[in-house]
Amino acid sequence: MKRIALALAVASFATALTAAARAQTPAERVGRGVRAYRDLDYDSAAVILRAAVALPGTALADSDRVRALVYLGASELYQEHRDSAAAAFGRVLRIDPRYQIDQLIFPPEVTGLFQQVRLVTRAVAVVVQPLTELRIAGDAVSIWLYATTFHPVDVTIRRPNGAPLRALYQGGISDSLQLRWDGRALDGTPPDSGRYLLQVDSRGADGHVVRSVVLPLDVARERRDTLPLPAPLNDSLFRPEHVPGGTGLRQVLTGLIGAAAVAVLPSVVAGRASASGDRLVVAGGFGIAAILGFQAARRPQPIPENIAANRALQLAWQHEVDSVHARNVARGQEVRLLIRAGAARVVEAQ
Amino acid sequence: MNLRVLPLLVACLAPPRLAAQVPRYLGVDLSLSRPRFQSTSPAGGERLSGFAVSERLRIVLRPVSLDIAYAQGRLTADTGNAAARDIVEGSLFVAYRPVPWLALKTGPHLRAYAAPGGTERWALWEGRAHVDAPIEGGEWVAYGEGWMALASSVNVSPGSAGARGAEAGLTLKLPQSPLWARLAYVVDQARLKNNARTESVQSVVLAIGFGGR
Repeated sequence: MKRIALALAVASFATALTAAARAQTPAERVGRGVRAYRDLDYDSAAVILRAAVALPGTALADSDRVRALVYLGASELYQEHRDSAAAAFGRVLRIDPRYQIDQLIFPPEVTGLFQQVRLVTRAVAVVVQPLTELRIAGDAVSIWLYATTFHPVDVTIRRPNGAPLRALYQGGISDSLQLRWDGRALDGTPPDSGRYLLQVDSRGADGHVVRSVVLPLDVARERRDTLPLPAPLNDSLFRPEHVPGGTGLRQVLTGLIGAAAVAVLPSVVAGRASASGDRLVVAGGFGIAAILGFQAARRPQPIPENIAANRALQLAWQHEVDSVHARNVARGQEVRLLIRAGAARVVEAQ
Repeated sequence: MNLRVLPLLVACLAPPRLAAQVPRYLGVDLSLSRPRFQSTSPAGGERLSGFAVSERLRIVLRPVSLDIAYAQGRLTADTGNAAARDIVEGSLFVAYRPVPWLALKTGPHLRAYAAPGGTERWALWEGRAHVDAPIEGGEWVAYGEGWMALASSVNVSPGSAGARGAEAGLTLKLPQSPLWARLAYVVDQARLKNNARTESVQSVVLAIGFGGR
């Protein structure tokens, strides 16, 4: 009977402890583990922190997770669990390759191990501005890489299907590296709108990829609006280019009088002298000229100054149309790219 | 019908204004003419015809111009036994153009008929009126000219009783070209005193000219 009562009491206490622990936030749990470490209770600290870092990724912020792992590594080290400590520090660097351990808080043996782990951990942090707008030639997306230690990396922009769009860099990285992507494919053309991937592969000493950082880049391609063409010239702007033709009567009359004059001149001038038939050639010439003059006079007569003014007006309008057209062609070739960077994702090699 | 009809004819041909009048002009032309000579006298008459060539130089400094012409040809008998003869003419006219379509001219006109039996020489001082009338723009221009001798002399007895003449023709000038052509009919008559004889010459003239400002 006493054993049963004791068991019930222990169970009740454990349930109460569990409930209390469940009531804590993950950050509070990390804080409790840190306090246990500072109280030199490394066993409790390790248990609490190990449970904290075992929470799923969304439950614990990266900063709390890194803090928990650092104190977990130190606790493991003081428990003579060097491999576990190194593993915890390795996880720290994979989460945040730029993390620097605080030498005022941790003793040299801890910071020394951390630095040793840094030397063998090949990881890269990728920082890209959340939104970049590329308007003109020379604009580029700035990509910063921060490495844990010197190692070779491949940096590639990939299409959604994984095919490479543009290889940005292939070589070593020591501390940090800045790369620029002008938003163009290898052939210089801007890509279509869509999601692309910035992939940074870290290579091991044997040349194989040990881990990759993949960062989505959403590219939105926008063209500038074209300018409206000038409105067609209104007919009212043009001057009349012709005046209506005349009756042609004066031309006919002139020709007829000329022909008649040729016919009668011998009798007028020479009196009784016989008239020469040759003059009929000239009379015929007057007749032909009268016909030509009659036809020409009935045609609308051009107004040269108005024709020139209208031509100048038309040319000015056409020049404006050509200018707008040229500007629209240039605008059509100007592509504006909006590039939004997403959250980086780490892919460990299998 | 007589010369009094000429002013009326000239007035009808006169255009409101001329487009082809230029302030300064220098031109020459070469023409080929077909003169027909006819003389009548109480004793009978003779008819001759032939060909003649002439050259003319025209200098215009508006409103004044100067025309210098020379012609030479050969006449042979159309009928009868008239002796063939050479015809030689020269003239120099000073013209004044009070309005663009009208020119008034005056100057000496010499004509000679050189025959084997002797040379008949006429010396005339003429007054002329010339009218231009464009038919189609400035390309086809009709013109008429009438003249009469203000003074005349001839080396044939009984002497000169006067002379008169007229000309009607067309000028074709292509735009933007220094070339032009002229087709004209010319008739004149000279009389000896006492109606001893009249001599008339009718010619169809085709001329090609070249000139510019």
